[in-house]
Amino acid sequence: MAEKRRSGGTSVLPEVKTTKSGSDRLLLSQLGVGELLRGAILKMVEARSDDPIGFLADHFCNLASVSESAGTAGFIDGDQVNGVPSACAQEQQHLNRALWHLRLAHHSQRSAFSNNVLLAYDLLSDAAAATAPHSRPGAAAPEGPPGDGSLAGGGVRGGLYTQTLQCLCSEGGVPAATSAPLLRRLHCQDHEAVPYDIFRQGVLTCAVFSDYIRQAQRLYAEVCCPAEGPASRALCLAVLGTLQEALETSQGPEAQHSPNANAKASPGLEANLKANRYLEASAKISSYKVAQAMARGAHAEGAGGNMDAKEFENAAAELFIARVRVVS
Amino acid sequence: MNRFNPVLPVDEYLVETNVLFYLNDALTQLLEHKEEYTQFGVIRYFAEYFSSVKNSNHVLFREYNYIKATPHNRASFIKVFWRCFRQIGRSGDVLSMQEYSSVLQLLCPDFPVELVQSAARIVLMDDAVDYLMSFADFLYAFQLQFYYQEFLASVLAIYQDLLFGKSPNTVIVPTSIAVEQLSLLATEENSTQELQEGVEASMLAECINGLCDRFKHSHPSRTCMLDVLEQSPKATYYSFLMGLAKQDAINTDIGALPNKSDVLVDPEMDQELLKLISQISASPGSTSSGSVPGGLRETQKKASPRRSIHHRRRMEVESDGSTEETDSSES
Repeated sequence: MAEKRRSGGTSVLPEVKTTKSGSDRLLLSQLGVGELLRGAILKMVEARSDDPIGFLADHFCNLASVSESAGTAGFIDGDQVNGVPSACAQEQQHLNRALWHLRLAHHSQRSAFSNNVLLAYDLLSDAAAATAPHSRPGAAAPEGPPGDGSLAGGGVRGGLYTQTLQCLCSEGGVPAATSAPLLRRLHCQDHEAVPYDIFRQGVLTCAVFSDYIRQAQRLYAEVCCPAEGPASRALCLAVLGTLQEALETSQGPEAQHSPNANAKASPGLEANLKANRYLEASAKISSYKVAQAMARGAHAEGAGGNMDAKEFENAAAELFIARVRVVS
Repeated sequence: MNRFNPVLPVDEYLVETNVLFYLNDALTQLLEHKEEYTQFGVIRYFAEYFSSVKNSNHVLFREYNYIKATPHNRASFIKVFWRCFRQIGRSGDVLSMQEYSSVLQLLCPDFPVELVQSAARIVLMDDAVDYLMSFADFLYAFQLQFYYQEFLASVLAIYQDLLFGKSPNTVIVPTSIAVEQLSLLATEENSTQELQEGVEASMLAECINGLCDRFKHSHPSRTCMLDVLEQSPKATYYSFLMGLAKQDAINTDIGALPNKSDVLVDPEMDQELLKLISQISASPGSTSSGSVPGGLRETQKKASPRRSIHHRRRMEVESDGSTEETDSSES
């Protein structure tokens, strides 16, 4: 594998190859540097981070802390009282790592995202099992989708799952007040074991929701002129109407043929994902619609007063959340 | 992460971000210092390497070719230079070009004197280069010269051509040898020919505009350059650069230094010094501290944290409160 990479187009070793003897190459392969760098580059290219150096720094730091904690269990938590990592600290550590994986790729990069969700799920299941992490550094190969949803340790505990979703929303820039109704819908009991499917859908929903809210915020910014204070209610309602239309169009056919409770969230969420794309499109394309609404809004001036950004955001969130089914 | 941006092809992404350059360097360093760097494991080594690249410490004590290799490295070096030596500015010292050159070589052993010379010429408007310069003046001129060196070399070539009445259109981006010759030429001509007049600013502006097209990103912002050139009908090369060095917008673009007004502010160092001073005064062995009433020093410290370095120095030579006046006149 390493050989293949070196002879490939994106070789990172041109200088080393020409100026150094074979012993260096031997050393590098003994150290597993080729594999290590290949993994890092793949991750980086997959994520297309705006700050690849920062990305690599985080990536290697993460790997180092994983391998060091695997080498000497509890080493990382050495600053804990009497050196024994408390279960809580270890859980937090797993959660951080899981979130780190989830941040790597945007959910529109489907395979990368799914792979990262799986890694995060494994990590959190390990945490639930409260055993020392068995995962090797760079264990990026997917072990195949766990269809039955009962991987090692019997799944992620509900508490951790909820915590993960909370973190995802707040990192996505969604105010807690806005995300709370969504999280109530996705909520699992603390003692429940969350199967992989539910976990994946929850994570995906939160990711899409964060995007959606950001879009809605942008939409409001488009609609209102900062100089003139909050936008008029009529105008906002018109825009929200357009938004709702977009959501309904995209949801329509797929949502209908999922009466099965087990498969419930899946198609719906795929649809939400799509809806988000529709929204992007409509937010951009239908400037003429917005203009229409604005014209109408201008006539209706004073009829309904104004709508501020928060209210708009809540209304938009409500449209979205109404389409997320309750997990029971 | 932002999928609303058009997606670059992988190759371009890797080139644009200089990632391969850093990976290559990381490997070369690893092989050169294998005993040292492999003892904590290669993963830890790469983590340390990229963390240091991220926080700009990677250029410390590296060779000149490395520190000028990428825009990030250049900005990092400027930042490191500023962080390490801003105490010079705070103590109000002025240094000569030679001294700045030595200071820079503490950070980068093979740092070329010529570049320091060029920076000094910007500050001194090409006058005698052995005058003394304040740290802040030198720092911003140095930043401009170091960060945009290739672009400025081309500007100088164009300027020369305009000055001698050649058509600037024939100018090709000069090689480094040509640049050296040109700058030699510039200094020689300076003494003989009267260059204070300079060239038509509008003409220079036009040529620079064309030059920017060839330089893609690695030039100061066009509006800034045109602003500077609009300020007077005639421009010399160094008056132009002097104007650029004073532009906050260019400084912000490079992103290594704060604005000139904040360049000497260093709260962390102040804290350290305060701690040091209190240690000195607390330690029974220090006789000098006994000569200054503790209360008085306390008020001085509070009044002017920026001068704390003076107090430390002066305390060693039996300070009294009267140095306060000289302090303020210096800074």
